[in-house]
Order: sequence, then structure tokens, then C-alpha cells
Amino acid sequence: METILKCENLYKTFGKKTILKDVSLEVNEGDILGFIGPNGAGKTTTIKLILGLQSITKGNVSINGYDIEKNFTNAIKRVGAIVENPDMYMYLTGFQNLKLVANLYKDVSEDRINEVVKLVKLENRIKDKVSKYSLGMRQRLGIAQAILHKPNLLILDEPTNGLDPEGIKEMRELLVDLASIEKMGILISSHNLAELDNFCNKVCIIKNGKIIETSEISKIKQEASKEVKIFEVNNVNLAEEIIGKIEKIDTNKFKIKVPKQEVPEIVEKLVKNNIKIYEVKQEEKTLEDAFFEKTGGNIIE
Amino acid sequence: MSSLIKNELIKIFRKKTIYIAMIAIFLFLIFMNCMFKYANSSSNSAYLYSENHLNSIKEELENLNPENPTDVTLYINLKSEVELYELMNKYKDDEWKLSIINSRISSYLTERNTYLYGAEKSETQANEITKKIEYITAKLDEDNWKYFASQDLETANKKIEELNSQKQQTQDKEILKNLENEIKNTKIEKEIAEYRLNKNIPYGTDYKNITLSNLQSASTKLIQYNSQETELSYEEQKEYNDSLKTEAECRYILDTGINVNKSDSLKGILQNFYSEFGIFLIVVIVMIAGTIVSDEFNKGTIKLLLVKPYTRNKILLSKFIATVIIIFFVILSTVIMEMLVGGVLFGFDSLSVPVIEYNFNTNMLEEINVFAYLGIQTLAQLPMIVLLATLAFVISTLFSNSALAITISLLGYMSTAIINQLALAYNLSFMKYFVTMNWDLSQFLFGNLPYMQGMSLILSIVICLVYLLVMLIPTFIIFKKRNIKNI
Repeated sequence: METILKCENLYKTFGKKTILKDVSLEVNEGDILGFIGPNGAGKTTTIKLILGLQSITKGNVSINGYDIEKNFTNAIKRVGAIVENPDMYMYLTGFQNLKLVANLYKDVSEDRINEVVKLVKLENRIKDKVSKYSLGMRQRLGIAQAILHKPNLLILDEPTNGLDPEGIKEMRELLVDLASIEKMGILISSHNLAELDNFCNKVCIIKNGKIIETSEISKIKQEASKEVKIFEVNNVNLAEEIIGKIEKIDTNKFKIKVPKQEVPEIVEKLVKNNIKIYEVKQEEKTLEDAFFEKTGGNIIE
Repeated sequence: MSSLIKNELIKIFRKKTIYIAMIAIFLFLIFMNCMFKYANSSSNSAYLYSENHLNSIKEELENLNPENPTDVTLYINLKSEVELYELMNKYKDDEWKLSIINSRISSYLTERNTYLYGAEKSETQANEITKKIEYITAKLDEDNWKYFASQDLETANKKIEELNSQKQQTQDKEILKNLENEIKNTKIEKEIAEYRLNKNIPYGTDYKNITLSNLQSASTKLIQYNSQETELSYEEQKEYNDSLKTEAECRYILDTGINVNKSDSLKGILQNFYSEFGIFLIVVIVMIAGTIVSDEFNKGTIKLLLVKPYTRNKILLSKFIATVIIIFFVILSTVIMEMLVGGVLFGFDSLSVPVIEYNFNTNMLEEINVFAYLGIQTLAQLPMIVLLATLAFVISTLFSNSALAITISLLGYMSTAIINQLALAYNLSFMKYFVTMNWDLSQFLFGNLPYMQGMSLILSIVICLVYLLVMLIPTFIIFKKRNIKNI
């Protein structure tokens, strides 16, 4: 697998304020990297540094092997992006907006524009002025302009903003297809953790300008829920008396944090006391839970 | 790069703003052309008062007592005025007669009234004047203006003879010189009278008469400057050149009978295109130059543009080039609109009339086709327009503030005249390096003397280029290093 985007030890300071401290991340071919962090953590700043919209104080960014600052045009050539909001020319139609983008790349034909429009399901409204679009439609148009020139790196800043559940589902499918079929690397920042849960294969958590975790999504969730087991029994109160400290979920369920080896012991105790056990399972944590565990809430410094 | 420029132009021409601005210009053009058309058509009977005004004078006259020494001067004046008006009213159908009455009889009327009512009353003198007046009015009744013209000619001839004989009697250099000048002046009077007779120009207030009087004053001035012994100052040299030009132009008009200065014609309006419509062009151009960058910042679309595979220098340069293309578009379309409006109102015939310019290099008049002339003027005005557009462009790029950019550039345009006037009035020679003195190159055309001594076409172009680069280079550097903040 080839590395498309590589950020190494990025620092960004504005005056005396350090926005980013030692940020490193990597996106490989076919990766969907979820870039997660509370407000003001430095997600958008990192994206702007990657895209050359802001100067890098220290460290370097390379895209497809080209340094973004030293060789901007080559580095940015195969990148598609939405930064902050999907800002388009409101007085133009969706199609005219895409045509403007197409003009700036070689070999983007009218057919390609139509193909992309179909892909983001805007074909019915593409001849309307963007000023008449909803935020969700603008978001779709934003994605369309980002993938128009078949980039191999897609950078999306909060792309699910304003999309309805149906739209979010469609976009998720689209991005998964792009990553698996077109072998694109995708970096996607979002607040909507539940969304990232289902289709990112890697996650990168940033807090106060520092990366505090980078790993495969499955690992994080495993780690966070490693020790917690859920029991479904007929009498929770009795179980409490027998085992001691448990966390009651409802009248039939409780949670307990124990290593795997101790589970048979607990089961034995409960059975001896005539408590019926319907189910014992490992707790499945959502990414959101894992996220809060890692970031410890949302504090803007 | 070319696709960047193409995109910029698409963005500009898809916006409503430019069309609204052009429609506004179109309406202004119609308005101004109508003003030109109707301003000049009411010039007939300029001598005549309204009936009301005359009645109020008569009333005032009744209240005055000519016997009373405090009233007498006013009485004489008003009385003469009433008589003059009544006489004019009688001859109001022929403009040349009014002109004659005004120039020859009106002084007699005052004189006669002075003898009748003034301190030294004299019946005989008054009667003599009455005879003179009657003689003139008799000639007026004969409908023969040529009589007066030939009388002018005769008077001038006699005067010349007289002055010549005086010249022979004197040896004094000073007197000789004065006589010489007077002869020259009288010769001009003679020439005017000859023009009148040969070219069949009755007295009046039409352009031919105006041309005659312009010719007279210009020629008189030239004689005055020619006889001056000290060297002409720069200011005087400029005035001398102006007179030279006016004289040549007047002769051209009288010889060919073509009114090249006719302002209420399509050609006349096109000839003065930049002085009449310059402000419209500047407003629209500055409006576009002042928004082309800041709009992208304010709407957030700059991020879209900056993540395309083009360097920031190229992106900014393409916007600047698009602005320059827009300048030509606005000028061209305004000229076409003026052609339409002016053509409908005044007809297209005047386009065959050439523009007359006096060339001080060859000391000859040049006939120039009006479109060629407009082209030359466009080139001459281009530094000013480009520099103002650049100013708006630069401010809008640096501060992302369109209102500021447009306002400052328009202020720059409007204060040009005042700045230049002050610089000339106080003779501030360092101002010859200031941009407003240099960006109008029309001052150098046809060998004209520029605003100030020591200015030259090459120097002005260099100065304008320096100003252009001083504005653009830092802007490009700052734009290149700029952090795109959150919007």
C-alpha cells in the first residue's frame, strides 16, 4: 500500500499562540481516516496546512511524494477538498460551478461532469442556481467538485453537515466506493462520531493541537470495551448483594468490569444463588464512547 | 493560465452587477445626449428680455424723476434700455439686425438720453444723434447687412492708411512700434470684415460669428506676444500655443465652412468622450477591480481557487489581467452605446467630419478621423484608468474590503483635477513626478506643451510604470504569503 499523504511533526503558531503541536498523520491508498477532535482542537488548521492555505511553522507535508510548500502545484494536482463550508459561487448554477473547476484541470470532459453529478445525485437540480440549494445540496456539489478531476487524495472538512440521514448514508456509500474501487485515500474530519464509526478504517484523535491517538478503529473500540461485560439476569438486586459493586443498567441487566478469567467465577456464584442467567456478553462500545474516554470532554484552551 | 483568465471573465460576466452598471451608463448616456441636443436649440433671440422684465423696468422708470439729480443716471440707463428693447423687438426676426442694434445703436441711445436729460443738455446734439440712428435703421430696413460689413472694411482701410502716414512722420522707436502693432490689429479687423463679406457671414451669434470673434482675440494675443521683447515664460508659451491653435482652427472653420467644434453632434461627443463620460467608465471599472479579489475572500470561494494546481502568483495575475480586459470591454461597449444613442438623436452624418488638431511639431493643422482620434485618446487615458483600477485591485486584495477600494480609487480620480490645479497654481515643480500630473498622456499629443516644464512623454510613462509596480509587487508578495483564515 502506498502512502499518499504524510504529515510529519507539524507545528503552527499564530503570534505567541501555538495552534498545532507536533501533528503527524498518514493516509494510505484506500484509507478512510477519521479526523476527530472537539471544537478548536486544530482540525481545520491541520487541513489548511495540508492544502497549503496556511504556511507551516515547522514540519512538513508531502502529498504523492511532493512537498506542499516547495512543490505546490505538483503536490496539489491530485487532491480534491472541501474546507470548512462548501463555498460555491452562489450566482452560478451547479453545473457552471463544476465547469469552472473542470476548466482548471486537463482532461475533465463534459461527460465526466455529468458522471459526477449522477454520482452525488444532483442531476435534477444541477441547472439551478446554487443560491437556491439547501446546505445538504451544496455539500453534495462540494463533493462533486472535489472528485471531478479523479484525485487520489480527498480531504473533506465536516462533509456531513446539513445532510439528512438518507444523504449521509449515500455519501458514506460513495466514499467507501471511492476508497475501495478508485483506491483513493480519504481524510475526513467530523463531529458526527456515529457516522465515522461505520466506515472509517482508521481514526486520528486531536485535542488542543496535539494528536493523542492514531490507530485502527476496531482496536480503539476493543481497547475501550476490553474489560466490561454485560449480564442479563432475572434479579439484579440479588446479584448486587452477591457480587458487590456492579453497574445496574435496568431491572434485568447490569455491567461489571472484570478480566475475562473471572467471568466463570461470577457465573458460578450467581447460579449457586438460584439467579437465572439469560446472557453474558462483551460490551460493544461506540466510537463516541471511546472518543469521550480519550479526549475527556470538550475543553477549548 | 489562460483557463484561469477565462474563468475570471466567466465569473464577472455571469454576475448581474456588470449588466446593471452598463444599463445605468446607458441611461446616463441617453440623458446627457438629450441635454446636449436641447441645450443648444434655445439660443435664438438671446438679446430679448421677457415681457415681464420690461414692464418692471417701465414701472421703475415712471417712479423716477429726471429733474432730480440723484435719479438722473439711473433714469438715463433705464430709459436707454427700454428704447433699445423696443427697437430690438421691432427687428426681432432677423438676428443680424439685433446684433447691429446692439453693437452700434445702443451706445447712441445712451448718448442721446444723456444730452436730453443729463447735466449738459443739448437739443442740437441730441438731434444729430437721432439722425445717425435713423440713418442706421434706414439701412436695417433695406435688409442689407453687407452695407455694414463693407463699412467696417472701409473704416479699417482708412485707419491703416492713416496709421501708415503717421508712421512715416515719426522717428521715435517706441511710437513706431506701437503704430506697427496697431496696424497689425487693424489688419485683423480688416481681415474679419473681408471674411464676413467673402464667406457671406451675416452678423449674429451663430458659430461663424463666434469663430470670427475668437479669431480676432487669438490673433490680437499673438501680436501682443510677438511684440514682447522679453522671452516668454512657460505659462505664456502655453497661452501663445493656445492662441496659435485657436487661430489656425478658426481659419480652418471659416475657410472650409465645417463646424469642427460642434458639440451637439455624434462626432463632437465622441471627440470629447473621456472628458464627458470618463467618470462613468471609471466607476464601473473600479467597481469590478475592487471586488474581483475581495469577493472571493468574503464569500469563502478563495479556498476553492487556491487548492487548484496553480501558484498564487498566477491566480492573482490572472485576476489582474481579467481586470485589464474588462477595462477595454467597458470602454468599447460605452463607445458603442454612445454611437447608438448619439446616432439616433443626432444622426451619423457628423462622423465624416474630421477632428482638427494643431501639430506644434510641424506647425500645421492635422485632420484626423474621429475614430482614430478616439483611439489615440484611449491610449493617452489608459495609464490613468489602469492605475486607478490597479489601486482598487490592490486595496481589495490587501484588505478584502470592496467599499474601501472603490471609494479610495474614486476619490483619487475626482481629486486629480484639484491636485493638478493646485500644483500649477503654486508652481510646485516637484509635483511633476506625482502620478496625477503624469497619468493623462493627452497633454503630450501633437507637440503640445505639457503641464510643467521638464515633463516628457517617456518620463511620464516611466513614472506611471513605477507607480504600477510599487502597487503590484508588494501586493503579490503579501498575497503569496497570506494565511487563509477562517471565513
